[in-house]
Amino acid sequence: MTAPAGPILEVRGAVKAFDGLLAVAGASFDVERGSITALIGPNGAGKTTMFDLLSGFGRPDAGTIRLAGRDIAGMAPYRIANLGLVRTFQLTRVLAGMSVMDNMLLAARNQPGEHLAALILSPGRSRAAEAAARESAIGLLATFGLAAKAGDYAGALSGGQRKLLEIARALMTGPSIVLLDEPMAGVNPTLGRDILDHIAALRSARGTTFLFVEHDMDVVMTRADKVIVMAQGRVIATGTPAGIRADPAVVEAYLGTPHAVAP
Amino acid sequence: MSVDFWINVGVLAGIYGIFTLGLQLNAGFIGLLNFGQAGFMAIGAYAVGLLVVDFGWSLWLALLAGILLAVIGGLFVGISSLRLRSDHFAIATIAFAEIVRYVLQNAEFSGGNQGVLGYDEEWRTLSDWALAKLALIGLGDYTQLPLFIAVWLAFLVLLAVLIVLQGTPWGRVLRGIREDEDATAALGKNVFAYKLQSLAIAAALAAVAGFFVALNVTFLYPSVFDPTFTFFGYAMLVLGGFASYGGVVLGGILFWTLLEGTRLFDTALSAGQQASLRFIIVGFFLLLLSRLRPQGLLGNRAEMRVRP
Repeated sequence: MTAPAGPILEVRGAVKAFDGLLAVAGASFDVERGSITALIGPNGAGKTTMFDLLSGFGRPDAGTIRLAGRDIAGMAPYRIANLGLVRTFQLTRVLAGMSVMDNMLLAARNQPGEHLAALILSPGRSRAAEAAARESAIGLLATFGLAAKAGDYAGALSGGQRKLLEIARALMTGPSIVLLDEPMAGVNPTLGRDILDHIAALRSARGTTFLFVEHDMDVVMTRADKVIVMAQGRVIATGTPAGIRADPAVVEAYLGTPHAVAP
Repeated sequence: MSVDFWINVGVLAGIYGIFTLGLQLNAGFIGLLNFGQAGFMAIGAYAVGLLVVDFGWSLWLALLAGILLAVIGGLFVGISSLRLRSDHFAIATIAFAEIVRYVLQNAEFSGGNQGVLGYDEEWRTLSDWALAKLALIGLGDYTQLPLFIAVWLAFLVLLAVLIVLQGTPWGRVLRGIREDEDATAALGKNVFAYKLQSLAIAAALAAVAGFFVALNVTFLYPSVFDPTFTFFGYAMLVLGGFASYGGVVLGGILFWTLLEGTRLFDTALSAGQQASLRFIIVGFFLLLLSRLRPQGLLGNRAEMRVRP
């Protein structure tokens, strides 16, 4: 698309209001290519709204959002996804009435069989793409401990498994950046650690960027390279986990007083 | 009388089957509540009638034109109304169908309530030829048998095509949209385009059904295409089961057997009363089914239960 250097995501002055209430009030930040970046902030800080703006599920009232140098503000979600930015949802959204495998196969990119003309003109290409997609789906499901569930309905999975499926499904699209909205919520800690390990491995192997919203500060401090802190719709701090921890503005946003600092 | 009677019932069941395949594609597989199917059917049927009678087209060419016009109608409804919420979309489609019907009823070009007559000469030639062949095997007396064969041949071919399509990645995207259109959009699928395709194909199927309706009734008048047609289609869907094309066949056969078979009983009721009783029986059956087998005859219970 554009220059491989520079941040993969650049947000400048993003504003989004709902009935006069500013959910995002002029937020600006960068997400570095190949980083694992955490987006944190107290409840109501505008994190999920920001995710909606980034992924096309909301149109910013003002400001620009650039993905790999290209303005994506207000673009349809499917187009943003096809440009390589894929998200998961805070409340998991698996396709309940479809099998786990079909959930994965649906996410595969470049499947000519999804288009009627190509399907009729070159069914062979569709089948080849399907076989390749199935193979990578099997690999991803194994990584996420869902291999044995491939034939089950996604709606029959436990809450934690659904979360895993949603992340695996997002990765199935071969994204350049993945937005995870509270990926650890409802997942047992051992499994959660596995997910995080896998995310770190993927970043190393493919250079995939991850931006995630998380409330577990242990996870944020140990796993993120960089932290973006939002409060009341604005970005109040960005930096390394260590730097953020020492930032009085962050402490105040969370605790309301400059005294009590978590050890 | 009985064989002729059941051949006629079979023709109706087949026509409704083709019609309902489109509803299944919409409501069952992508989750679009299309209540305007009778409108697309009317466009297809009237296009055939008018192009043959007023413009001297060949019946077969007119069939193609009718399909094309119905597809254009489907695209028009889709582009104008698909951004509505699903229940609002349903209302928009029924409004569209009623607009079509009222225009046909009141416009000069469509002959108003007088209808359109005299478009089926080419079909009768073909039908007579088929009857001559059928006479060789002793079936020459059943005048509606050629239409029955043509309707069911078309129905089964279209059924097979749709079943194959549903098994492809294309069909998978439809199901994804039915399950959760936001999640499917977030995976890079153009939900609007798929809904539009689904609607256009359903409209084409309605036009084919309309073609056979035209051949069956031999003259076209607007009240053939009132919304009841669409609701009968949905009754067949509920009986046969959503998201199953086989269910359309089974639901259609069951619905028409129930509805028409009950004509044959001798009762002390007046003709009008008995006609109403038939619908009560069908309604009762639908209630019973929704209690005992909510997924319909061929619907998938497990799939239904895993949904939130």
